[in-house]
Amino acid sequence: MKSYSQIAGEIGEFSDLPFWKKADPIDLAYVGYGLLIVTLVVMSYFLGSFHLLPYNPDDIDLELMMAGPGTPGHILGTDFMGRDMLSRLIVGIQAYFLPGLLAVFIALFFGTVLGVLSGYPAKTGFDTGITYFTNLVDSFPRLVLILLVIAAFKPDIWYIMLVVGITNVPVVASHIKGKIQFLKQKNFIEADMALGLPTRTIILKHILWHNCRSLLIIQATLGMAEAILMETSLSYLGFGVQEPTPSWGNMVQAGANYFMQGKFWPSTAPALAILFTILGFHLLGDGLNNILEEKKGK
Amino acid sequence: MKLSAIRPIALVLSRELTITALLLLGVSFVVFIILYLSPGDPFSVLLEGQVSTEEAREGLREAMGVPKSWYSQYLSWLTNMLQGNFGTSVRTGLPVLQEVLRMGLNTVVLTIGSLFITLLLAVPLALYSAVRGTDRISWPLTMFSYVISALPVFWLGYIVIYFFTHKLGIFPMAFGYSSGGSGSAWLYALLPIFVLGIGNGTVSEVIRFLRSEMSRVMAEDYIRTARAKGASVWKHSFKEGLLIPVTEIIASKIPFILGGAVIVEQVFNWPGMGKMAWQAAQDRDYPVIMGVAILAAVLVRLGSLFQSVVYVAVNPRASKE
Amino acid sequence: MTAAPLLKIEDLRTYFYSRSKQAFIRSVDGVSLEIAKGETLGVVGESGSGKSITALSVMGLISGGPGVISGKIGFKTDSLQRNLLHQLEDYVTITKKDNRIMQVNKEEAGWDRHTDHLMDRIRGKEIAMIFQNPKSSLNPFTPVGKQITEAIQLHTAVRSEQEAKERALSWLDRVRIDSPRLRFDNYPYGLSGGMCQRAMIAMALACEPSLLIADEPTTGLDATIQSKIVDLLAELKTELGITTMLISHDISIISRLADAIAVMYGGTVFEYGPAKEILSSWFTSKHPYTTALLTSVPSAQNIREKGYLQAIEGDVLDTINIPAGCRFYSRCNRVTEKIRERCERCEPELREIVPGHKVRCWLYYE
Repeated sequence: MKSYSQIAGEIGEFSDLPFWKKADPIDLAYVGYGLLIVTLVVMSYFLGSFHLLPYNPDDIDLELMMAGPGTPGHILGTDFMGRDMLSRLIVGIQAYFLPGLLAVFIALFFGTVLGVLSGYPAKTGFDTGITYFTNLVDSFPRLVLILLVIAAFKPDIWYIMLVVGITNVPVVASHIKGKIQFLKQKNFIEADMALGLPTRTIILKHILWHNCRSLLIIQATLGMAEAILMETSLSYLGFGVQEPTPSWGNMVQAGANYFMQGKFWPSTAPALAILFTILGFHLLGDGLNNILEEKKGK
Repeated sequence: MKLSAIRPIALVLSRELTITALLLLGVSFVVFIILYLSPGDPFSVLLEGQVSTEEAREGLREAMGVPKSWYSQYLSWLTNMLQGNFGTSVRTGLPVLQEVLRMGLNTVVLTIGSLFITLLLAVPLALYSAVRGTDRISWPLTMFSYVISALPVFWLGYIVIYFFTHKLGIFPMAFGYSSGGSGSAWLYALLPIFVLGIGNGTVSEVIRFLRSEMSRVMAEDYIRTARAKGASVWKHSFKEGLLIPVTEIIASKIPFILGGAVIVEQVFNWPGMGKMAWQAAQDRDYPVIMGVAILAAVLVRLGSLFQSVVYVAVNPRASKE
Repeated sequence: MTAAPLLKIEDLRTYFYSRSKQAFIRSVDGVSLEIAKGETLGVVGESGSGKSITALSVMGLISGGPGVISGKIGFKTDSLQRNLLHQLEDYVTITKKDNRIMQVNKEEAGWDRHTDHLMDRIRGKEIAMIFQNPKSSLNPFTPVGKQITEAIQLHTAVRSEQEAKERALSWLDRVRIDSPRLRFDNYPYGLSGGMCQRAMIAMALACEPSLLIADEPTTGLDATIQSKIVDLLAELKTELGITTMLISHDISIISRLADAIAVMYGGTVFEYGPAKEILSSWFTSKHPYTTALLTSVPSAQNIREKGYLQAIEGDVLDTINIPAGCRFYSRCNRVTEKIRERCERCEPELREIVPGHKVRCWLYYE
């Protein structure tokens, strides 16, 4: 049963309503959850870098190993060596936070530059060049490419995130290019040119700031999710941060043997952290996309 | 199929093959650049690996004593590769090409199987929500697919393994081996396929893509015509709404699934090229990791070749474009 | 109007909903129409007047909520009699306030299934429809001929591929497509717009339906092609005598083909009567909108009489903000002081002023 009702009195105008009233409540819930997760991650990052932790994450307590969540004194329990789970999870964010931002920055910056270069000028060879570059990057499974880089250089998270950033460049570029082509179709850009605006103003202000802003935020969100996924996968595979320094991936890996013995928590806690975080970033990106991008076109 | 229909397909196929060849050349160049730039000259290790006898190796080392120009290094490596000589593994001493192909076959089984599982889950749900929109049935299922897709695939693997060992009494130790009787060996082989199929973040993306494509097609004028004449909407929307998007998503997800295979093969001890790549990265076994990268790229390109062939075969306009 | 009506629409309402304005778009708001057997009814009106939505409602092809919410559509042939909106009220609850629909609850999925069931063996077989933009209305992935044989095999006794093909070819010939055998295997992209519309007409008529709905069949085609399609429709009309509901914003097309005309405005019918009365200059008790519509047609006579081409002032009615009084009040140039009050406050009924001719205007209430 679907219900439709008209509000009494004056009929509202689209542009008058603030966006949270126009938006679907489900999308708002997605964004709300996503923002909560982002806030938690950022806060935890700073807590971790200033060592404002409930316990020292390396303190071993052999009396209290593998305590479940809700244990007095240890809200999220302890791992297989009795180390405080909450503290280790918070410190684990250090492993991906700044490198992830680097990956996002690379993808957005170079993606925007390439997107504008291929979309803005009337006819250049750039377009085919970028298609070729995109296909080339897409030919490599990202993880295999990263393993190749690890073998050639060293298992360093910064190198890895460099690769993640570069491989995301084509995605961002194609979005920007698509947006510019859409604007061209609607003759926005011609109108700007007819007004005699300098190219710099058209590109920076009218195209990027007014029309690509929300798109870039969405891509940043999805890019961060990807970076986190890559970091946790690689530290799970043993190429990232090494024990005893915690990272979510190596925590899951280290707890594996206990998991098979039926002691789930040491592996499960970091896995859930990954789950809720990735989910948060994905839902944030999706919700923002629905609210800011797709429904605007209709 | 009529002859007139085959000609455009052959034309497009030859065009696509050229593009594929060019892209693979590009792939080999990227691999070369990475190895060339890396510290410790792994590239001479590669070239050495392509030469078997001790004397020849000495000769090569001498010849390379004065560093050769980068392009002649690339060319000699590429020529060797084109002759099927991918060198030998630093760790095992076995020829890389044969090893990678042997392991690659297991990975292909894993990849195709998991794609099948993904589509089996995603297609019905995508079609349902494309037609009905978000309702009491599709929303929880879609939400569930989001959660499943955000789960780290390695942990999902643990759950499945734990469930099978403790609840069903099957004790998988390694691929193809189980103490629970011969009947469960194949069952165990299905587990990684299943885990890679539902985990790894693919399901939710496939659902989203297929749903948006199908609902776009459902709003097309010709679907309205089909309904107006009392014909099956599914029959008319099948090609543009399902067949083309499915091949598209298969082609674009292959690299992602191959990446996931590296992890799943690790968790389940599945002897595929993902595990091989992992081992090679541990040992800095350049010839092997390079061979895996190139074979993986070949698989990805084959996927998109398949997609273009289907597209041309289905879409009468494609060959004219 | 002697024969019993083949199609009788009574008080049809089809609404949509604008989320951003939180208001109903009252696209079809109480339409009543009749089409007698063998007759061609021309439905004319500006874009947004609800003509096409009325036609799609008859076919049960409305997508988007809430869609059809009330009314009756009686369809009666020699062998079949059915209300195409049978049991609609079981799926819809309407809440009114001040005699205005303010809330609608509809079990849409259930109604869609029910419609498909009601329309089974009617769509394509009893009622066929052709659309505007013929190029996008044909399936781009299937040869044109195949699309016609599909309809034939679905709805007639013909089952064999070969026989269906022969019949399709004869229909392609009948709609004056040159070298039908060649065209049979063409995909729509290889055909011109006019050719596609001929193929659409062949597809619609191939199952010999009782009613043909032609929704703006010439819109989107070149002017010369337009007149050729109208010629074809006129030929087919005399040849087959098929009952037709012809929808167009172009009154010159309507005037060539229609026996009866319904003038629509803002989701309702303003005037309904025999074509010869509505189009003639001697019949003067017309709705002011009809008169304005007729004088705005670019014809030599209109220009000669006035010296210029008269346009209807004001904008087309926005079907979100429907006024309480006459829908045409703000644009009407024939409001007299005597009726002004009524025009502004109350909506007139569609009232029979001479037998077989109805007008919705306060001018003719005395």
